[in-house]
Amino acid sequence: MKLQRMRIEQLRQFRKPFVLGNLQPGLNLIHGPNESGKSTLVRAIRAAFFERYRSTAVDDLRPWGDSAAAPTIALDFEHEGRAWRLTKSFLQRKRCDLVVGTETYSEDDAEEKLAELLGYQYPKRGASKAEHWGIPGLLWVEQGTGQDIEQSIEHAGDHLKSALNSMVGEVASSGGDDLIETVRSQRDTLLTGTGKPRGDYLKLEKDRAQYEVEIEELKERVHKYQEQVDRLGKLTHDYDQAEAERPWEDAQRQLEEARARYQQVERLEQQQNQEKATLSQLKQNHHLLQQNKEHLEGLSRQLEGRKAELDRAERDLATAEAQTPVVTGRLQEARAAYEQAEKQRKLAGLLQTRHRLEQDVRRLEQQKQVLTDSLGKAREYHQQLEQARQQARENRIDSELVKKLRATGNQLNEETIRSRTIATRLSWQLEADASLTLNNETLTGQGEQQLLEESTLVIPGVGTLGITPGGEELASTRRKLKTLEESLEEQLKTVRVESVEQAEERLAAFENAERAQKHAEDLLKSVAPAGIEQLFSEQNEAESELEKSRSQLEATPKPDPKEDLPALEEADAAFARAGSALDKAESDDREHQSRLSALKQARDNAKTEWQRLADEEKSPERQQQLRQITTDLANLGKQQAEMEVSLERREREIRDARPEFLKQDIERYQNAVNQLRQTQENRGRELRDIKVRLEAWGAEGLEEQLNEKEAEYDQCNRRYEELHRRAQALDLLLNLLTERRQALTRRLQAPLQKHLNHYLSVLFPEASLEVDEQLRPGTFSRGTELGQITELSFGAREQMGLVSRLAYADLLREAGRPTLVILDDTLVHSDSDRLEDMKRILFDAASRHQILLFTCHPEKWQDLGVPPVDIQASKERKSDF
Amino acid sequence: MPKFLHTADWQMGRAFTRFETEDGAALVEARFEAIETLARLANEHQCDAVLVAGDVFDAQTVSDRTIRRVFNATKGFAGPWVMLPGNHDAALAESVWTRAQRLGAIPENVHLALQPGVIDLEPQKLSILCAPLTQRHTYGDLTEPFSGYETPEGFLRIGLAHGSVQGLLPDEIDSTNPIAPNRAQASKLDYLALGDWHGTKQIGERTWYSGTPEPERFRNNEAGNALIVEVAEPGATPAVTRVPTGRYQWHQFRETLAVQSDLEQLLARLNTLPESVVVDLRLDGSVTLAGEETLLKALSIAEARFRSLRCERSGLQLAPTDEDIAALKADGYVGEVVESLREPQEGAQDDIARDALAILAGLLREREQEAAQ
Repeated sequence: MKLQRMRIEQLRQFRKPFVLGNLQPGLNLIHGPNESGKSTLVRAIRAAFFERYRSTAVDDLRPWGDSAAAPTIALDFEHEGRAWRLTKSFLQRKRCDLVVGTETYSEDDAEEKLAELLGYQYPKRGASKAEHWGIPGLLWVEQGTGQDIEQSIEHAGDHLKSALNSMVGEVASSGGDDLIETVRSQRDTLLTGTGKPRGDYLKLEKDRAQYEVEIEELKERVHKYQEQVDRLGKLTHDYDQAEAERPWEDAQRQLEEARARYQQVERLEQQQNQEKATLSQLKQNHHLLQQNKEHLEGLSRQLEGRKAELDRAERDLATAEAQTPVVTGRLQEARAAYEQAEKQRKLAGLLQTRHRLEQDVRRLEQQKQVLTDSLGKAREYHQQLEQARQQARENRIDSELVKKLRATGNQLNEETIRSRTIATRLSWQLEADASLTLNNETLTGQGEQQLLEESTLVIPGVGTLGITPGGEELASTRRKLKTLEESLEEQLKTVRVESVEQAEERLAAFENAERAQKHAEDLLKSVAPAGIEQLFSEQNEAESELEKSRSQLEATPKPDPKEDLPALEEADAAFARAGSALDKAESDDREHQSRLSALKQARDNAKTEWQRLADEEKSPERQQQLRQITTDLANLGKQQAEMEVSLERREREIRDARPEFLKQDIERYQNAVNQLRQTQENRGRELRDIKVRLEAWGAEGLEEQLNEKEAEYDQCNRRYEELHRRAQALDLLLNLLTERRQALTRRLQAPLQKHLNHYLSVLFPEASLEVDEQLRPGTFSRGTELGQITELSFGAREQMGLVSRLAYADLLREAGRPTLVILDDTLVHSDSDRLEDMKRILFDAASRHQILLFTCHPEKWQDLGVPPVDIQASKERKSDF
Repeated sequence: MPKFLHTADWQMGRAFTRFETEDGAALVEARFEAIETLARLANEHQCDAVLVAGDVFDAQTVSDRTIRRVFNATKGFAGPWVMLPGNHDAALAESVWTRAQRLGAIPENVHLALQPGVIDLEPQKLSILCAPLTQRHTYGDLTEPFSGYETPEGFLRIGLAHGSVQGLLPDEIDSTNPIAPNRAQASKLDYLALGDWHGTKQIGERTWYSGTPEPERFRNNEAGNALIVEVAEPGATPAVTRVPTGRYQWHQFRETLAVQSDLEQLLARLNTLPESVVVDLRLDGSVTLAGEETLLKALSIAEARFRSLRCERSGLQLAPTDEDIAALKADGYVGEVVESLREPQEGAQDDIARDALAILAGLLREREQEAAQ
């Protein structure tokens, strides 16, 4: 099959018709950059074959946004010497036409014809998927799927087989595969995939086992039943025999005899017991009498004892009384010592108090002295302070006012001086007795006066002279001067001084007084921080305390300096010791007293007892009693001896009868009777039980059940055996058939292997690739490497995939099938060396098959030896027409 | 002239293995019918009594229903029945008989010989000397005491026992429960009615095994009869008549097929058999594919006709002729498989291969037939 020309229109970006013509029978390199339509061309070829013309699932063919488009593909190709022309339109105009030589096909017929030619199928509905692509799916490699060879081979499976069968026709079987399926399905009703029973076969197997179990159970029960029947037979026999012989009656008789004998012994024992009781009574009487006798005889002895006791009591009392003065003396001593210690302690206390008081007096005197000194000083400082205050009060003057006064004085002086310069000076030198009257003021002698105002000078006898000072400033000066003088006068009056100098002096005096006051205050504070009154009251307090201490001291008696007094602590300790010694002495005394009285009591008692006994010993009744008792005792002794003889005899009788054996005999015979009766009763009970049980079991018809069950088992087993044989036969048959079928497939492997090796030797000179029974490339070996194709690197897998596809193409070509190889940007993962090898392989393959190689990397393929077809250029060229 | 019916070995309660359920049930039913037949015959022959010489029941623990049905089946004959416990239904402390008594299933005219001794049937002037088995197996001759049993004057002395007459029966019969061969003579018996041997067999002038009234195995010959015994007077030689009672005949054929005519003969023999038969076929030798087809067809027909047909063919080799193989039209690898299956295999594998070949041939034939249609 050789594709010669392809034309597409209204298909994706090819809105205008696009023609890819002049395709070569061998290798065709078609290139264009991304988006140039390279993939669209591949898609168009696939759509032309795989998609049904009436499919609605081919929207991807529509140019973008053109809902009115009818994507159309026209393909011209040659196969087996005939020209084929396929025209297919989708969507808006659904049509398919196929012209083969002079024959024409259209619509579905055309599509079926194509599918048959290339070996693929159409989807039942929707878009065509990989599983429909058949042989073209194997030979037309989509971008990036070159390595997924297994899936493609599987999808191509049936088509491949039918395509290749012609090569091995002589070994294929007509309908053999159907036969295998029939055998398989029949086998599968009996066996699972792993050869385990299933369905009826399995059920029979289980039933059989179930029957076996049930039969075993039934057999067991029958066996039990028979055992019980045997037991019943034996028991019945034993029971009847025992009923006839009645062995328990013998035992009963023996029991009675033993009992009678034992009763006799018991009677003897009773008598013996009575005699024993009498004997013991006799003995007791004897004992009592003996005691009485002893008692009576013992009175004199007792009397001696009592006397001794009395003596001892008196002796004890005397000893105790002798101790009395010692005890009393000790008590008095202790008392004296106690009193002495008490006195000592008191004195020591006094002495200590005196010492404390003396210390207090000294301390207080000192304190009083200090306070008196401080008070003296404080008074002195206070006086100084008062003086300074007086001074300050007398000279109090405002320094500001003084300052102002000084300034006014100065100003007045300056003005005065100035006025003098401009004033009219009137000087006079008068005769001694001459006098003048100036402005009503009498002038004598000599003098000078500056006149600033109109003045009248009366010269007595002369008349009056009027003087008017000249000068223009004179008037203002005079006014100013007057103002200043008035101001000065005013200020002086305010500060109550006569002159400025006086004011200055007073200010100085005031400041001095203030400093003195401050000094005096500080001093006063140093001696009397809380004031003089406080100091005074403290002094008073100290004095009164002193007085108190002194009076206390005087009230405290003065100890005798000759006496050597211990310290208070020592005295306290001595006192405590003396106290406890006294306590001891007192308690000793008390004890002694009580003992004394107890001893006195004991002596009195002993004396009374002794007196009583002494009286009794001498009574006549006692003598009489003693005689009577001696007679009674002799009688009792005789009786006792007789009784003992009788007892001994009785005891021998009893011993000879062996009562313990008799007792055991009774027990033994009793047990025997019981046991014999019990055994028989048990037999009877067991008999009844077994009968009841057997009746119940018998009613079940066990053996008949067993018979039936065995029949059922037999039938089940027969059926099982049949199925077992059939299963084995079917299994064998299936194995044989599949084996032979596989052997057949293996015969196809050889040519495929041959082609594969042809290509592989170029790529890996040392390598081999095994084809498995499904005709898939499987184990790959290279030197010592061994592995599956799927374990290789992506690039290597892609190369292997391509090599395998080419091998398939060769095989198909030998079988006379069309081969067209389409590679869409394949081998992009190959390095340059491998790519070089792959180019050689492709070039070689192209001598047998048409190969369309689409790529966007033309530079990688430029040494392929064929002119590349540039889609872009073709498109532009096409736009011309 | 006293006359009685001698029967034995009813083996009631037996289930039949190796048969289809339906056939087994029919065979069981036939045994009940046999009792009714006996009752009918006793009436027909105006017998004074029916003597059953042991093994009335096949086991001690049969179902209550079986017990009741057995006694119900005797109702047809109102005269006395004397039933003797055999080795299958020995009179143990607890036995099928004590159960039957408890069930109240035993009619008044049925006498059970549960203890050794004599049962006198006064009106019939028959003294039945009974030697019942009271244990499962005995190793002494239970009929020994017969010599010591006194019987009324003028009464027939009829011995009733169950066991093997020493030295006369094939070895495979139980050697337990022995019976002296000259018992009838030694104990002055007019007749000794025996059970245990399932075929009808005369031991002496006065000693017979009646055999079972309805056959239940292929092995015994002469099964399926009862004996009518007539003794003119005490001491007279009994006249014994064999009366058939069996419903089904049991046939067992062992055939070796070698040539085509062997098969034809076998089929002819099957054709001659009546319908009331139970047939057990055991075939060996070899058969062609065509022959096998014929055989299977014939067996299929016979199965439908007979009460039961069982055919054991595991010894029969399938030996397809070249023509057979050609007719299968197995080409390619299927042909190879056929050839490999025809080759002799080892041991059990051989059977499987033969089955496999038969299956394959069947499938191929079906395919041919479909193609022909």
